[in-house]
Amino acid sequence: MIPLVVRSHYSLMRGTAPVDELVRHAAKLGYRTLALTDMDNLYGLWSFLKSCKIHGVRPVVGAQITDPSSDMLVACLVKSQTGYENLCQIITARKIKKGFDVGNELENLGEGLCILTNDGGLLGRLREAGLDAYAAIPRKPAADSADLRKTAVKIGAPVVAAPDNFFLNPGGLKLHLLLRAIALNSSLSRLESGDAASADAWLSSPKEYEKRFSILPEALEETHGIAERCEFTGPDTTTVFPPWDGGGRTAGDVLRETAYAGAEKRYGAPPGAEVKKRLEYELGIISQKGFSEYFLVVRDIVLRSPRICGRGSGAASLVAYCLEITNVCPMKNNLYFERFLNPGRKDPPDIDVDFAWDERADVIASVLRQYEGRSAMVCNHVFFQPRMAIRETAKVFGLGAGEIAEVADKVPWFRRQGDEGLLEGLRRLPNTRGLGFGEPWPEILRLAGRLVGTPRNISVHPGGVVITPGPISQRAPLELKLDGVPVIQWEKDGAEEAGLVKIDLLGNRSLGVIRDAIDNIRADDRAFDEGRWEPEEDEATRSTVAKGLTMGCFYIESPAMRLLQEKSGKGDFNHLVIHSSIIRPAANEFIREYLLRLRGAGWKPIHPLLDGVLDETFGIMVYQEDVSRVAVALAGFSHSDADRLRKIMSKKEKELELNDFRQKFERGAMLNGATKEQVEEIWRMILSFDGYSFCKPHSASYARVSFQAAYLKTHFPAEFMAAVISNQGGFYSAFAYVSEAKRLGCKILPPDVNKSGVKWHGHDRCLRVGLLSVKNLGGETAGRMAAEREHGLYKDFDDFMARVRPAEDEARALIFCGAFDEVEPLKSRADLLWLLASRRKSDGDGLDTGVGGASGAPPKLPPDDETGLLRRQYSTLGFLCDHHPIIFYDSARVDARSVKAADVRRMVGKTASFAGWLITGKVVTTKHGEPMEFLTFEDETGVLETVFFPKTYRKFCSILDSHRPYLLRGKVEEDFGAVTMSVNDVRAL
Amino acid sequence: MERRVIHLNVADFAVAVERRADRRLGTRAVIVSPGGARSVVYDMSDEAYRDGVRKGMALGRAKRLVRTAAVVPPKPDLYERAMKAFVRHVFPFSPLVEHGGWDGHVFLDVTGVRRLFGPPQDIAQRIRRSVARDMSLTPAWAVASNKLASKVATRLVKPRGECVVGEGGEGRLVEPVPLRMLPGLLDSEITRLRELNITRAGEARAFSMQNLETLVGSRARLLYEAVRGADDSPVLAAGSVGDAAEADYAFNGDTNDVAVVESALRLCAEGIGRELRKKRLSAGSIVVTADYCDGIRSTRRVALGPGSSNNGLFECALKGLRIAWSRRVRLRHIRLRGEGLRVVPVQLELFGGRDEKALRDSALDSAVDSLLERFGKNAAMSGKCFLARPEQDV
Repeated sequence: MIPLVVRSHYSLMRGTAPVDELVRHAAKLGYRTLALTDMDNLYGLWSFLKSCKIHGVRPVVGAQITDPSSDMLVACLVKSQTGYENLCQIITARKIKKGFDVGNELENLGEGLCILTNDGGLLGRLREAGLDAYAAIPRKPAADSADLRKTAVKIGAPVVAAPDNFFLNPGGLKLHLLLRAIALNSSLSRLESGDAASADAWLSSPKEYEKRFSILPEALEETHGIAERCEFTGPDTTTVFPPWDGGGRTAGDVLRETAYAGAEKRYGAPPGAEVKKRLEYELGIISQKGFSEYFLVVRDIVLRSPRICGRGSGAASLVAYCLEITNVCPMKNNLYFERFLNPGRKDPPDIDVDFAWDERADVIASVLRQYEGRSAMVCNHVFFQPRMAIRETAKVFGLGAGEIAEVADKVPWFRRQGDEGLLEGLRRLPNTRGLGFGEPWPEILRLAGRLVGTPRNISVHPGGVVITPGPISQRAPLELKLDGVPVIQWEKDGAEEAGLVKIDLLGNRSLGVIRDAIDNIRADDRAFDEGRWEPEEDEATRSTVAKGLTMGCFYIESPAMRLLQEKSGKGDFNHLVIHSSIIRPAANEFIREYLLRLRGAGWKPIHPLLDGVLDETFGIMVYQEDVSRVAVALAGFSHSDADRLRKIMSKKEKELELNDFRQKFERGAMLNGATKEQVEEIWRMILSFDGYSFCKPHSASYARVSFQAAYLKTHFPAEFMAAVISNQGGFYSAFAYVSEAKRLGCKILPPDVNKSGVKWHGHDRCLRVGLLSVKNLGGETAGRMAAEREHGLYKDFDDFMARVRPAEDEARALIFCGAFDEVEPLKSRADLLWLLASRRKSDGDGLDTGVGGASGAPPKLPPDDETGLLRRQYSTLGFLCDHHPIIFYDSARVDARSVKAADVRRMVGKTASFAGWLITGKVVTTKHGEPMEFLTFEDETGVLETVFFPKTYRKFCSILDSHRPYLLRGKVEEDFGAVTMSVNDVRAL
Repeated sequence: MERRVIHLNVADFAVAVERRADRRLGTRAVIVSPGGARSVVYDMSDEAYRDGVRKGMALGRAKRLVRTAAVVPPKPDLYERAMKAFVRHVFPFSPLVEHGGWDGHVFLDVTGVRRLFGPPQDIAQRIRRSVARDMSLTPAWAVASNKLASKVATRLVKPRGECVVGEGGEGRLVEPVPLRMLPGLLDSEITRLRELNITRAGEARAFSMQNLETLVGSRARLLYEAVRGADDSPVLAAGSVGDAAEADYAFNGDTNDVAVVESALRLCAEGIGRELRKKRLSAGSIVVTADYCDGIRSTRRVALGPGSSNNGLFECALKGLRIAWSRRVRLRHIRLRGEGLRVVPVQLELFGGRDEKALRDSALDSAVDSLLERFGKNAAMSGKCFLARPEQDV
C-alpha cells in the first residue's frame, strides 16, 4: 500500500499535519513512497520535496482538485514535466475560472497525470478520453462504493485504494474539528456530519489499510503500480529571467549604453576613470551571470514613478545607481558590489525598490498589465500565530470580543519560544495578573497552542513580483487576490526554489511624505529644486539629526533611534548609515560599546586577523555583510559559505544549519589561532544579527531618505508635519505629531469647511487640519466637500448641507470638530445640531426646513460650555488644536509638584515627578527573560523617554494604556548626554 | 378625584434579602452571582456599586474592583418568596398592585381608598412598618399622582427615605432632576439632548412637542410628558399584566452548546405550555429572546399554530431560537414569551380527520400536568430538558 491521497495542513482549514511531520510520520510507518495531494494547491510542494529527501521517501507530486458543485474526490498525480505543467494549469483554472468544470478541464489537460476519482460518471469520461484514470475507493470498500466498482469493471478501469486522511493520528480529530468550526464560522456543537472528515481519517499503517481493504486486495496492489508510473520527482528549477524586448539589440549592449548615459548624468560627462573601471567590472559580472535583462526590466519599472528608493543589496551596484534604480553613490559610500553579485553566488539576487505607498499599487498594476499572463505576485502563507489562534479558538468556544481581547491582546506579537504552552506562557506575563484563566480558557489555550503554525490562508506579498518568459501558469499555480491580482502559490523562498526571480516593489510612506511636503511648498509658489538637493550637506539638518529631533523623519523617529542619535551627537550621513543598521533588536549591548568607542574609548580588533575588517565601525559588527567578512577573514570560510551563514541568520528555522556553521566557524577560527573566548565573543556578535538586520547599501539608501525628511522638517516644519500626518501610519499617532508640530512653533488651525482640504496643509508655521483626520467623515464625502468648493465657498450651514449632503454622523462630526465655526460664527454647536436634526426631519417628511417648519419654532438652547466643546473636539479629531490635554490636569501637577518635560534635565540625579501623556511604548526582554518597557510620555513642553525596569513593569503594566495621562515618579538619569527617567511609581490621572 | 399612587422600593432587593438571611453580611459590599468561572454579576449592594460594580459585569472584574466583597449565589426561589411576602403586605390596601418578579419595586394605586385606610402617606408608612417588622426590610416610599413621579421620588430618597409629592407638584419634583433619573428614557435620547446642552428635565421643557418629534420621533410624547412629571399609564393589577405567558432560563455562566441551549428552550416551552393549558389559553406567536454573554440581545418572533402542546410550542420556539441565536457567541439567558393569548375554542373540528399525533401529545401533556400539579413542578421532567435540569443552572 502506498498512500496516494494525502493531505497536509496546506489543505487549508481541513488538514492538520505540517508537511515535514507528515513525511516523517509516513516514513516511520514504513512507507517508502508518499504522495501529497493537498486540495487545489501546491503550497507545500517545496517543503514536501525537501522533507522527502531528508527522510528517504520517494515523493509523488499531486493535488486533489475539488469540484465546485459536488463533493466528488478527484486526485491528480504527476507522471511527467508535462503533467506538472498541466496540473499547474488545472489548479489555476480551479482557482480563477468561473464555471470551472473538473471533467472538462481534465479532458483538456489530463495528459501526464494519473487521475483518481470516486465518481463513476467522470471515470467513464476520462477513460473514454484516453486518460490514465482510476476508480478510487475512499475509506474502505463498502456498500456505498459498490456502484463505482461495478462501473470500473464495466469499463475496465482499475480500482485503487484511496483512503481519506486529514490528520496523522486519532488525536488530530479535535484540531480538525476546530479548523472546520473556524472555517465555517461556527462552533463545535453546531458542526454537522458533512462539515468535517470522518473520525478515522488519519494516516494509518500499511497493516491497518490491508485490514480495511482485505476484501479488495487488488486496490492496494494498484497503488504500487500508480506510484511507479509517477516518475516525476520535482519540477524544472532552472532560473528564468524576465523577458526583455530590445528590438534586435542585445540586452548587454543596451544596458552598457544606458549605464554610461546615467553615469554622465550622475557624475558629469565624461565619467572619470574610477567610475568607468567600476562600471566595466560590474557590467562584466552582470553579463556573465545573464542578469542584463533583469536590470533593464527593473529600470523600465522604476521609470514609472518620479520618486523611488532602491534599497537592499542592489544599492551597492554602480550600474543600478546609474540606471536610477538606486539613489546613493556606491563609490562615495564604500558599498561593495560583491555583496550584491559575485561570480560565486548561486542564487539570483533581488532588487528591492520602494515607491510612495499610495503609488505602489498603480505601479504593480501596470507591470502586471504589461506582462499579462507572464507575471504574478509572490504570496505569503499566513500561519496561525498565538494571537490569531487564541482569538479564533475562543470564538469557536463562543466567547465575546471584549473577553477575547482581554487575553489575546496580552500575548506578545512574536511567536512563543520553546515548548511552553500558551497557558503557562500567559500566566507568566506580568500584565495577565488577575485574569484568572478559568474555564474554558485552559481548553481554549491548549487547542490554540496546537493551532499555532497551521496555515490559514494566503495573502499577497507586499511587493514581490515575478515575471517569466512564457505562460506563468505552466510554472506555478496561480490564484487571484483582491482586485484581481494574480499570485503564485509559493512564498518568496518557494519562488526562489522554482527558479523565479523576484522583483520587490514595496510601498514607503515617507516617500509620500517627502512628495507631499515638496508639493505643499511648491503649491505656495515657493521654489524647491530637487535636482540640486543635497540634504546631507546641510548644517542645520545635521544638527537636527545629531540632537535626535527627528520625530516624523523616516526610520530615525523611534525613541530608540532618537536617543541613539542624541547620545552619539553625530548628525552626518556616514554615522547615520551606521546607526540605522546597529539599531536592530538583538544588538543592544553592542550599541553601548559602540557609543563608548565613538566617544574615544580605546579598542583593538578581537583577533589580529580582523584588523582592518571592521575599522569603519570601531571593531563592531554592524552590517549583515560583516558576518560574511569576519567568517572569511577569521575562520577561512569560502565566500559562498560565508554568504550562506549571513543569509540563514534572517531565517526562521535555522537551528540545525546554524549549529553546523557554529562548529565550522569554531574549527576554522581556532585553526587560525583564535582562542575559545575570542570565538565566543565573535559568535555572540554574529548572533546579534538574529531576526532582521541590514546590509550597508540598504542602510545608506534609507539614510538618504531620512536626511531628505530631516531637511524638510528643519526648514519647512509646517509643510513637513502636515505631510507626515496626512500620510498616516508613522511611528506615532496624529496626537503626538500635532504636539511635535506645536513644539516646533507651529499653530494648529481647526478643520474648516471652507479652508480644509482632504489632506493637511502647512504654510508659514501654521497647519490646517485636513478632513481626513475627522473621525466618521468618509473619504468620499471629504473629497466631495473639496470638489464642491471649487464652485464657490459655502455661505452657511444650510448651503453646505444642500450642496454636499453628508450623512448625519458625518455632519455631526464636522460640527463637533468646529468645522462650521467660521462660516456660522453666531451659532453655537448646539444650534447647529438642532439645525441638523430639523433638516433630517424635514427631509424625512418631504418638507422645507426653516423656522416654524416641520420642527416648529427652534428652542432656545443653553450656551455651549468650553469643556464640552474640547471634549467633543478630542473625541472627533483625537487631539486638541489649541491646547495640550495635559493642561486639564494642572491641579494634579501642582499637587504632585511635577516638573515639565522641558525642565527635567535640571533634575538629573534626583527623584522627580512628571505628569505626561503616554504616546508610545515598546516591551523588550532582559537577558534573564524578564519583560520591561521603554515608554515615551509628553507634555506641552516636550517629550520624556522613560524606562520601566522589570520590577516596576510587573507592578504597573496592567494600568498602562496609550493615549492617556499618568503621573510618574522616578529617578532622572543622564547617559551620554541624553536624559531619561527610571520610573518607580505610576498613577493614572 | 385625584389619582394617588404609592411606589415602594426596597433598594438592591436581592442583597437586602441575602442580608436578612445572613446577618454576617452586615454592611459589607455584597455581590450576587453564581460564582462559576464565567459568571456575571446579577445584583450588588450599594457599597459595591459605588466601587464600580455593575449588573452584567464579569464576576472576575467585579471582584478585582471590590476585593473584600462577599459573593453570594443567587437564590431566585428565596427572592420570589420574599417578593411575594412583601406584596402580601400591600394587597390589603388596594387590588391595583403592580410588581416585578423579584426586583423589590411595587406600585400601588390607592385612589379612592382614603375613607377606608386613611391618606396615602399613612398607608405607605403602615406598609413600611409592617414590612420592616415582619421581614426586616425597609423600603423607600413615595406618593404621587402617577407612577413616573412616584418612582422618581423613591429614586431621590432611597435607600430608606420617603416623599410625598403634592397635587400638581410632579412638575416641580422632576424639574431639577437629571434626565438619566427619569424612568423610561433611552440612553440615545439622553445623549441626543446632552449634545444640545440639555441635561435636566426642566431644561428639556424648552422643547415643544414638535421639537421633540424632530429629535426622537414617535417617542416625543413620552419624553414630553416625562420631563413634566406626567404619566397616565395605569397600575396594572396582578393577573392582568399584559396578555403574555413568559419563561426564562439563565445559564450558570454561559454556554454555546446547542444541546444545552435547546434543552433549556424546551424547559421554557414546557413551562409556558403548562401555564397556557392551565388557563385554557393558546398563544398567537412565540417571541424568543437570546441574551449573549457580550451583552447583545437578539429577539425574534415566530407565528404559532393552534394548540398549546409542549411539542408544538417547542418546535415553534426552536425556529425562533435558530434565527435569534445567529452569532456563535455564548448565551447567558434565554426568554420565551407566548403573546397574543386567546381562549382555546371548545368546539371540536366539524370537518377533517383527527390529528392522532396531536391527540397523543395532548394526552401526554395533560397527564404530566396533573402529575406536576399534584407533586410539585420538579416531580417529573421530560428527557429533552435533562441537560437544563434545575440543579444545573439557576
